[in-house]
Amino acid sequence: MSAKPLRVKITYCAECGYERQALDLTQALMYEFGSRLSAIEIIPWESGSFDVSVDGDLVHSMKRDGGFPEHATVKSAVRSRLGSAPTV
Amino acid sequence: MTLDRARWDTGMTYDAFKATMTRNQDRFSENEARVALDPETVRTFKSLPKGLRVLVLAEDWCGDVVANLPILGRLAKEVPTLDVRIFYRDQNPDLIARWLNQGKYQSIPVFVFLDQDFRELGHWIERPASVTARRAQERKKIFAAHPEFGAPDAPVDQLPEDVRVRLQADLQQMRENMVPFANAEVQRELRELVSRVAV
Repeated sequence: MSAKPLRVKITYCAECGYERQALDLTQALMYEFGSRLSAIEIIPWESGSFDVSVDGDLVHSMKRDGGFPEHATVKSAVRSRLGSAPTV
Repeated sequence: MTLDRARWDTGMTYDAFKATMTRNQDRFSENEARVALDPETVRTFKSLPKGLRVLVLAEDWCGDVVANLPILGRLAKEVPTLDVRIFYRDQNPDLIARWLNQGKYQSIPVFVFLDQDFRELGHWIERPASVTARRAQERKKIFAAHPEFGAPDAPVDQLPEDVRVRLQADLQQMRENMVPFANAEVQRELRELVSRVAV
């Protein structure tokens, strides 16, 4: 079965210096899913935001959920939409 | 956390901080050049009976540092009895732990006013509440005037890119327009703070 490629969007507050967290998450997703993601879009924003959406679903919001997302949480959200088993 | 002469001397002067900036140096200098110091601010600080030390926690990537530290820098040039030393927040966890915003956030800049014996007289963090409130108000107006921007709290990544770019430009313009108000509010709060604690 070939799963439909997914797009991940990471919106981070550039004024708050959240580049490292955005890049760390991007790297983790690249290593884990490679070409199974159609794109990882990184959006510099403001207002203390750090939001992650997978295929249009907001899976983490700093304002809603507090803090930065666990990589495992985002990976799990991607996996469930890809319909794949967890990578060990 | 011990703050003594030896620790104090590890802090950077304002000019040294500017020289070591790897980000936003141009914007910082522009902000510094357009700070309009209120004569009342200068008078208040010059009239203090004793000189003050000001410990600053900062990072060069932070928008509030780039906006507000130049005000203190300009003031210190006018008031030689203000001795400013700047410490990077992320390299000094023991210092930021002492001056957390609302007891939990590592907001910067932090300006800590100290006497000559390093006793704290008062501190100031990030930006005036009045500026945050005014920004929120203006932000609401922008969203109300542009239904295509969606809800103010909706994730911006759902917006089409061209709409998002326009929203970003409008928000930046709004912040730019607020600079005179924000700078005046910072000065008002600093004046009030030192007037309360002056010894």
